[in-house]
Amino acid sequence: MEIKLLKPGYKNNEQFYRDFLEDKIISNDDYFSNEIVTIANAPDFPIYIAEGTGEEKKQSFRQAFQVMASFYINTDRDLHLDELFWHSLLVTKKREYILENYPDVTTSFGDFKNIVVKSFDWQNYIYKCVLAVEYIEDYFNNAEEKDRYYNLVLENLDLYNYIIKYSIFRNAEFLIKILTIIDELDISGIMKAKIKDRPDLGTDERYGRRVIFELNKNYPVIMSPLLDIDSLKQEVIQALSYYYDVSEIRKNMLQLEHS
Amino acid sequence: MIYKKDANFPYPILTNTSTSYKNSSFLLDVRLEENTNDYRLVIDYEISSSFINDLIKSGDAVLVFIIQSKDTRFFMLESDQLTVEIPKNRISLNKRTSIQLHIQSTKEINFSKNKDLTAFYNTFKDEILVSRNSLLGFSNIVVFEGSIQNPFVLFEKKLDENLSSDIKVELGSETIIIHYRKADYQFNGVGSSKAFNNPYIYTGLRTALQRFINEYGKGEDYVDLSQIPQPENLLDFKLYQLMTKKMIEEVSIDTIDEVISLISDKIIEKYASAVKELINNGN
Repeated sequence: MEIKLLKPGYKNNEQFYRDFLEDKIISNDDYFSNEIVTIANAPDFPIYIAEGTGEEKKQSFRQAFQVMASFYINTDRDLHLDELFWHSLLVTKKREYILENYPDVTTSFGDFKNIVVKSFDWQNYIYKCVLAVEYIEDYFNNAEEKDRYYNLVLENLDLYNYIIKYSIFRNAEFLIKILTIIDELDISGIMKAKIKDRPDLGTDERYGRRVIFELNKNYPVIMSPLLDIDSLKQEVIQALSYYYDVSEIRKNMLQLEHS
Repeated sequence: MIYKKDANFPYPILTNTSTSYKNSSFLLDVRLEENTNDYRLVIDYEISSSFINDLIKSGDAVLVFIIQSKDTRFFMLESDQLTVEIPKNRISLNKRTSIQLHIQSTKEINFSKNKDLTAFYNTFKDEILVSRNSLLGFSNIVVFEGSIQNPFVLFEKKLDENLSSDIKVELGSETIIIHYRKADYQFNGVGSSKAFNNPYIYTGLRTALQRFINEYGKGEDYVDLSQIPQPENLLDFKLYQLMTKKMIEEVSIDTIDEVISLISDKIIEKYASAVKELINNGN
């Protein structure tokens, strides 16, 4: 499939939005540079996963993970981590799909910017999915383990967002290790809980976010992305202890080690 | 991650600017080769300290090859490994990519036999014990510039008649964008029109620097520029370069205005003289 790449400048152009709604983009050469990229197959997948129940969202993520793993992440990274590629694909090939699945796009320019030409960073759903799929598919060979870690990402989505927000933690080994630790210590619930007794930290602070924040603060004296899993576990518990009473967690960990 | 200047460490670190080691240097050069599916990075490095070189040879320290582009990858190098191969579907060199070598301890290191330290350490180097997994040194940074579109352009002016305010400052992906509701507000054709826009430029810089402090301040209201890695956001990277070139070491909420005057080449002075000129020649 050939995809014409957009010319920069479309993002804040309201005429571009109106032309999208009226299906007038593809026919207008002014919107495109001369560059064309090709991709063997570019099937539909959920591009925006903010609505619905928790279970519905997980279902959408799983569907996106599956399509990404089969069709997108084996292209060159110059393609599948490039904002211009994704925006061009969505606008020129996914219009029908978008109008059908994300009708909010028709209500306002703001919604269009938020759903379709959304900046390609840690807050963008395609970006979140691409990285999770790259990391998990490359790291594991068997389907069961892949599934386990896809589920861990979904169970710890808030933390996953914070991990990929920081470039030093945006790394396959680190993500896998952190998810493993959370699973082993059974602290997923704590990590996503809001911190209620610390108004000084802001209104929506969560234990997991603070743990990542502390690990980031200690870098490079403690190079957490490079630590083996046991040392990293100690660092995670240490960071959590600044905000949460970890004596139970420590006790359980000792029991696990001796069992 | 990648370190530009000497971060503060509680023990001696080997870098190209370290004052802890005699004739300290840790030089890195990287050559890029590619075939259809892979990039091969060929590593050439030179470490001045024989103490550190011996640690690497014996396995008590390891070289960590770090590549930061869209994300960060670490490669623990074998002691004689001088190439790293990465499939093209897992790295994008079209975007700015920074590469650095780190030396990391694999066990506790005693510095008593480190003859490469400066005389300052003579009396107490016996007491220096560096724990496992610690950073012992870092090299210069090798940068593949990729495709920043306008490396020298920090501002863009745009006209938008549907704007709900007269003027709007937007922080774009690599520029500060000033939106004007009316062309008049740009002062085109009036005397030194460029200088008349300087108050807007000032506001734009202020907005961008505020976000910069917010983003890299780690929860504090200041950023020590020697302690942060090179920003990956292109606008922040330009600001970072601008500030470090002007030898600014710290930017804080309290010093934003000083920083602007240092990096902006007298924009207020130029504005004032343009206004004066207009008044003098006024009609």
